[in-house]
Amino acid sequence: MTDNSLITAKTISYKINENKLFHNLSFELGEGCALLIKGKNGSGKSTLLRIILGITVPTKGNIYKAASIQICYLGHKNALKSYLTMRDNIDLMQLKNHKELNYYLDLLSLKKHLDVTVSSLSFGQQKKLALLRVFLNTSKLLILDEPFVGLDDATHEQLTNFLSNELIMGKGLIFTSHIPCEIKADSLVLIN
Amino acid sequence: MEILKVEFLKLRKKTRIWLGPILVFWLIMIAYPLTVELLQDKLQIGFFSVLWIAILISMMLATEDIFTEDYNDGSLEQTIIQESSFSTNIGLKVFIYWFLTGIPVSILSFIFSFGTTQNFGLSLSIFPLALISSYIFLNLFVLGNSLSLNKGSVLGAIVTMPIALPVLIVLGKSITALQFDINFEGFILLLLGSLSIIIVLVPIVVSYIIRAHLE
Repeated sequence: MTDNSLITAKTISYKINENKLFHNLSFELGEGCALLIKGKNGSGKSTLLRIILGITVPTKGNIYKAASIQICYLGHKNALKSYLTMRDNIDLMQLKNHKELNYYLDLLSLKKHLDVTVSSLSFGQQKKLALLRVFLNTSKLLILDEPFVGLDDATHEQLTNFLSNELIMGKGLIFTSHIPCEIKADSLVLIN
Repeated sequence: MEILKVEFLKLRKKTRIWLGPILVFWLIMIAYPLTVELLQDKLQIGFFSVLWIAILISMMLATEDIFTEDYNDGSLEQTIIQESSFSTNIGLKVFIYWFLTGIPVSILSFIFSFGTTQNFGLSLSIFPLALISSYIFLNLFVLGNSLSLNKGSVLGAIVTMPIALPVLIVLGKSITALQFDINFEGFILLLLGSLSIIIVLVPIVVSYIIRAHLE
């Protein structure tokens, strides 16, 4: 593990009922680096992300994280409360007092829906709301599972630009995506 | 302490979760005199048994979906990856549920007890018993519900009931002690001792169970 390393995976293996998802996987992610995890459906991309997060325990191997590293995670589930308004959800995400909140609400065209319940929003709008967690993050490492799904072209571009800037600022990014994007990923792991 | 604010916000919007159990408790206590002859001495005979069972049922209802929603929408994953202790967050969540259901139910227990027995001293002693027992039951049902997460609350209730039975027995004995004025404080201390162990152990055990579910 080098000095600027955020995450180091050493010989990670994971199997479910004798079905090996991946075997002896090793990689290291440093500051300002991105890792795009690609693979077929069911190849274990989301599982690998959950292993990195510490939610799932690998069958073999270890994950080493930089000391007291904060992680921003956006998974398949948006962690939004469908019965609450967008404003309440922002409050739940503890982003209410963030100085850049208004800017991103305008950018993502969410401001006029602030008092609308999440269940009344479209899938894309819900995804944008969940993405506020990413846009307003204060973490050193971003872990995103299919972040571009459900986004229109404009938001796709905004997210791409944002993540590229985050990399320039020295943050780390690990993500999965079936949708082509222009983020310069330093490493690529293909899982079969 | 952000978890307190977050849970309060959620429960403020989802009144069904905490108001439902209180109303069920209230309905049971209202319905009880209607099912026996309206003679005060006969009402008192079974009153406390009904009271403890009503508290048990209301706490079971209060915890029915305590983790289900957060499990389904991904909030539990977000909680786990935070730096703060997951078990502490669970302990605080249980406390808020108790604050919103256990305390009102305990106040109602005092009122119904006074209304039935017309004995202020006895009813006043019921209040701490109801406070402690509701917190114990709530923790036990939280344990059961975590075990049966996403498998329905019935399984959780079945798992929890055998653990709750000794508490019901102690509550029954404490009423006898109260009525005969023999070592009532001993029963309070016994329940407090049990509670102090439970509120430490249950969040830790539940945090491991939920982690296993998320895996």
